Amino acid sequence: MRSASKPTRSRIQRALVAVALAPACAALAPASISTAAAAPSAGASRVARSHAAQPAHHGGGRGAPTTAGAVTTSQPATASTGTAVESGASSSTLARPRNAERHGTRGRSRSTTRSGRASSGGAASGSGSSGSASTVASGTRRTASRGREGGRHREGKRLSSVRSQGRRQRKASVASSTPAASPVPALVATHTTAVSTPATIASATPVAGSPAPVSRAHAKHRVRAAGAARPRASTGGAPAATVPASAPAPAPARTEPAATRRAAPARKRAASSSFSSSPIVRTFTRIVNVVPVPIRFVMGILLLLVLAAAARSRVTALRARRLEAQRQELLDDVGLLQAALLPLPPARLGPVGTSAAYRPADGPGAGGDFYDVFALPDGQLAVIVGDVAGHGRDALPHTALVRFTLHAYLEAGLSPRDAVQTAGAVLARQLGGLLATVIAAKYDPRERLLVYASAGHPPPIVIGESTIAPITVASSPPLGAGLRTGSRQTVVSVPGPSRICFYTDGVTESRVGADLYGSARLTGALADLEPGETARDLLDRVATATDSRPDDMAACVLSIEDGEGEPSVLVEELELDREEAAHERVERFLIECGVEPQGAASLLRSARTAAGPVGTVLLEVRPTDGSPEVALRSDNVALLHTRQARRHAGIGGRR
Amino acid sequence: MLKRVGNTNDSRSDETFEIVGSDIDQTTSVVAVKGELDLTTAPRLKWMLHDLLEAGRENHVVDLTETTFMDSTALGVLVGVNRSLGEGMRLVLVCSRPNVLKIFELSGMDGVFTIVPTLDEALQRARGQAAKAS
Repeated sequence: MRSASKPTRSRIQRALVAVALAPACAALAPASISTAAAAPSAGASRVARSHAAQPAHHGGGRGAPTTAGAVTTSQPATASTGTAVESGASSSTLARPRNAERHGTRGRSRSTTRSGRASSGGAASGSGSSGSASTVASGTRRTASRGREGGRHREGKRLSSVRSQGRRQRKASVASSTPAASPVPALVATHTTAVSTPATIASATPVAGSPAPVSRAHAKHRVRAAGAARPRASTGGAPAATVPASAPAPAPARTEPAATRRAAPARKRAASSSFSSSPIVRTFTRIVNVVPVPIRFVMGILLLLVLAAAARSRVTALRARRLEAQRQELLDDVGLLQAALLPLPPARLGPVGTSAAYRPADGPGAGGDFYDVFALPDGQLAVIVGDVAGHGRDALPHTALVRFTLHAYLEAGLSPRDAVQTAGAVLARQLGGLLATVIAAKYDPRERLLVYASAGHPPPIVIGESTIAPITVASSPPLGAGLRTGSRQTVVSVPGPSRICFYTDGVTESRVGADLYGSARLTGALADLEPGETARDLLDRVATATDSRPDDMAACVLSIEDGEGEPSVLVEELELDREEAAHERVERFLIECGVEPQGAASLLRSARTAAGPVGTVLLEVRPTDGSPEVALRSDNVALLHTRQARRHAGIGGRR
Repeated sequence: MLKRVGNTNDSRSDETFEIVGSDIDQTTSVVAVKGELDLTTAPRLKWMLHDLLEAGRENHVVDLTETTFMDSTALGVLVGVNRSLGEGMRLVLVCSRPNVLKIFELSGMDGVFTIVPTLDEALQRARGQAAKAS
């Protein structure tokens, strides 16, 4: 399309160039003459254009009078039109006028736009090709239509129409319209771009003589419009720059000094003005200028404070997130540790329903209680419940120590009393002064017998058809007290449905008003448990019934079903050495078991004899309806017998 | 000489814990405990007795006549003091309340301590022991 339209275009353009160039040659400057002279060669015309383009940018400074500015602004549009025709890069072409127009819309853009239109219109009319016209048209539609309009006119008519535009365009149009009669066009018109370029040069030159001064704003964006065309002009000019040797170099040379003289300061101004003319910057500058200096300082400080606060809040948020993560980790760890220390017992062991529960104290006492429920190889069931008096974290390692020690002894087949006794001897040093109360028990489901031994720990509650009243006289002291312990053991027969509850003193020592909750209330709560309810439910009931719980609570409940008959104590055992047998509490123990006081005194004498100087004697009291049976077993040789007896003798010496 | 060590209102507002130490003579001191000896108050008794041991008192009487409750922590304190007594030194407890005596019994510690029902008897025992020792 473009190549086809080329001849037509060049013909029309030739005329147009004549129009544009003649006045430049005749009336204005030698530059135009030189351009005209250069015109015959296409290369020269390019050179001319390239040179012209350069001055156009430089010359289009602020101080440039209207004529120069107007024509200069027309440069990009024209140049782009020409280039588009050559390269076919219509899209890039479009950018130019748009660019020009965009810049032009700022401030007083009319002259710029119009001059652009004028030249493009000229180009379009010159070529008569709708293709090139539409190229421009997509950039500036109105311009294109005008261009087409212009194209329809003959030269004379165009003169007038251009003139009418030129009225608004000021000198530029005047410059282009004047030379209609000029004979030069034939020489120049080889290239469209060349046409307008010399015009530009021509118009750039006469600046000084220009009668129509233009406001700075006009000049400013004319510069911008010219700037938009700059890259293309330079690309066009670059290859040409080597050529001009044959062309009359003087022409551009003559133009250049005039342009460059103005160029340096103008460029600077252009640069600064293009920066300061940004509306945002301008508005901001205006606002800032209004604000008094002290307020500016205050604003600055406030801004800094806001930034500091924002940074701080960010840091705090990050830290909080990290702490939350750590807390979760710790809770998980604590959960694991607690699970390790307080295992969840199986819901059933053989025919016995088992459950255990632990409820930490409200206050600082948490951590001292422990329990264990497990099956033994011989089919029996073992229970350990205890309380290390130290409480808290310090007690934790000791609770584990005591629990596993007892567990091992029970597992090894020792009776509860022997297990406690041995543990008391073994753990005395390891507990490091802490007292640990503990109860160890075995339940034999076949015999329906419960055997338990305590070290300073409350006895279990056994309820069936009736409730057993345990004998607590002559209880064994806690582990860690440096005393011989594990001297007592009780055997209970559980023939009928029963519940056995082992608990720590935290349960009975929780408060109801000023009172202790006590074992009586606990017995009631245990009796009230529904079938299927567990130790957890029991502790929940205790918690509901009490006002404060200063200590840990642990409970273990065995539910024994079937059978019939009420539970009863079969045997109360008390192991004594010679010195212990002399203590009045042994006598009280016998009396408590139902032995006549006189019989008790004689029994004690026998016991002392049986024990011997370093040995022990076991008192077995079997309660009966009448007077209980009492057996003395001097052949009971406990583990660590001698060692314990010696140690105990040492302790006893101090008493 | 009267040393007032602590007077604190417990969480139970109607219960007032008070611990009073007094020297009977050069070698004998009496510590009277009023209120409840538990996890929170037992340490006071511990430090009181500890100070008296440090001061070189040989015979110690702990008067639990007005003590309404003892837990295992308090027992631990008494056991600790009992263990740290040197040769010829003595600890005598005064206690007549059945519930506190029951605690001693239950814990098996009634066989370890010398527990008497009245302060006079306690002093008599302590001094008698001191006289015997000297």
